[in-house]
Amino acid sequence: MAERVFAGKLHRAGFADVWVGGHRPFGIDQAALYPLFTPEVIQVMRETIPADRQDHVASGVIVKARRPQ
Amino acid sequence: MARDLMFQQEIKETVQQAYAAIATGAGETVARRHYNDQELAEVPPGAVDWALGVGNPVRYARLEPGLVVLDVGSGGGIDTIMAARRVGPQGRAIGLDVLEEMCERGRTHAAQAGVEGWTEFRRGEMEDIPLPDASVDVAISNGVLNLSARKSRALAEIFRVLAPGGRICMADLTVEGDLPPEVANDQSAWAG
Repeated sequence: MAERVFAGKLHRAGFADVWVGGHRPFGIDQAALYPLFTPEVIQVMRETIPADRQDHVASGVIVKARRPQ
Repeated sequence: MARDLMFQQEIKETVQQAYAAIATGAGETVARRHYNDQELAEVPPGAVDWALGVGNPVRYARLEPGLVVLDVGSGGGIDTIMAARRVGPQGRAIGLDVLEEMCERGRTHAAQAGVEGWTEFRRGEMEDIPLPDASVDVAISNGVLNLSARKSRALAEIFRVLAPGGRICMADLTVEGDLPPEVANDQSAWAG
């Protein structure tokens, strides 16, 4: 899910003061540490994602928002 | 519409089966990426072993004693326990997970941490949270919303259980641009 899509869904749910920050790159090497990513999908990622994107396939973010009073 | 609903059900089952099948979490290597030594010292080793998150929502959530906090997709309970320490016995920490075995792990780890008196784990889905309206002050989650095939529904449910003025603080992954279809369509990519 893209960041702007995430924020849009929060707005549509009724949340206010949506803030997205704390960005950290999430690459294939990080994904490989999680047991939910099978070795097969990690291998597919290494084969299909361009080398210059492999250390930043996604971003870890913190998303904050508030339910209005 | 029927195809879409089937797709949603398939995703839900895939994610649940994937989580039910794993023998451990991502472990200390991943936990050390997100939590500092002081934070990790707050939780028992089993909760660290079962860490599966992608960030540290508790650090950003501004939790205070007396608040009611809901951890959506609590897994082994690492963030629930950290939240429980911050809200204290005047408050309440509720872990929600779709898998009963994860709830059991959370209960075990909360008891080991000594916060079981004001911490509970409930089995339930983030798209149908088993809590009353306006009963939560802060909702946290860690790498969980992306697992839902009905993200808008899950956010609407979190909005419903939050009290007016309540806050949400979530760690998750965002992706800009397209992933190769071989990756995007792989079942374990959904679960991961």
